[in-house]
Amino acid sequence: MEQSDEALCRSVANREPGAFDLLVERYQERAYRIAWSIVRDREDARDCAQEAFIKLHDAADSFAGQAKFSTWFYRILVNCCLDSRRRGRGWRRLLVWRDADDADRADDLVERQPAPPDDPGERMDEDQQMSRIWEAVETLSPQQRAAVTLQYREGLATKEIASVLNTSEATVRVHLHRAFAALRQRVGGAR
Amino acid sequence: MTAHPVDRLLPHLRGELAAAERAAVDSHLAGCAECRDAMRDFAALAALISRAPEPAPPMHWGAFRSQLHAKLERRHRPAGVGRRWSMGPLPAALAAGFAAVLLYLGVLSPVGTPPGGDQATLEGQVLAGRLEVVTQLDLVQDLDLLEDFDDIDGLDSPAPSRDS
Repeated sequence: MEQSDEALCRSVANREPGAFDLLVERYQERAYRIAWSIVRDREDARDCAQEAFIKLHDAADSFAGQAKFSTWFYRILVNCCLDSRRRGRGWRRLLVWRDADDADRADDLVERQPAPPDDPGERMDEDQQMSRIWEAVETLSPQQRAAVTLQYREGLATKEIASVLNTSEATVRVHLHRAFAALRQRVGGAR
Repeated sequence: MTAHPVDRLLPHLRGELAAAERAAVDSHLAGCAECRDAMRDFAALAALISRAPEPAPPMHWGAFRSQLHAKLERRHRPAGVGRRWSMGPLPAALAAGFAAVLLYLGVLSPVGTPPGGDQATLEGQVLAGRLEVVTQLDLVQDLDLLEDFDDIDGLDSPAPSRDS
């Protein structure tokens, strides 16, 4: 029977051979995908994912087992990504990224805009919408991108995202709502 | 009408609201076309994001794991082991500059070059030329033609005429 993530993490803490590699193989793609969704740079995302695995290796014995392993690991990962952003390792994208505060201010403006008209002639086909939606996701703040990715790509509940982002559930709801309001405005709705 | 329950629309879509909260949102939605429109768009956007192709650039996972292990090993190496030659960026730049100056003085400067050229350098060039032949030895050995010196000797002689 396949070992659970939690059991594997305990094996990593006990330095059992192979346990760490198994956990890395299980989580490498998810870790990179989430990191990329936040830092939006291939090398930075790879570095952040690797850094998260190193921290997991070193701190495996501090995993209490009360939360799911994935939630605990995602918190390490997201912190690595946000720290990386704060340290300015993502300087290559600074010119296109807005500050989170600016993003929130812009979202407030978006909130006040009326919904786009429901004109069938203006509807795009799905491929165009998908390409536009990822362009729009790029304009969100890192926290909003993290919340959207964790909820709609990784399937985490709002409560779990709150634990990952180390914030309240109400704040996550606000992040998600502002993100969707901005996407709706930029993509023109997905009707 | 009550205030728009904007931050509860997405949790409502995901079925995350408690019964009382869900009933309050449903009651608001019944009388608010604006929120119903928003709800409908959010549902469509959520579906689109969930099934949109993965936008992250591709990654070679074998290389990813090798690099991870190398980092882990470096991080856990005892202090001082393998770090004897490591230095910060400024000392490294100074050392590189110093080496460049020495290289310039030693190679490009005319000081110390004997008039008429350096005999040792010439000999070195001849030796290097021979070494190049040695490096091509396999190729030379494969040329069967060279094994038959009679044929080689005859290459310079005029071809026999057709009349004879």
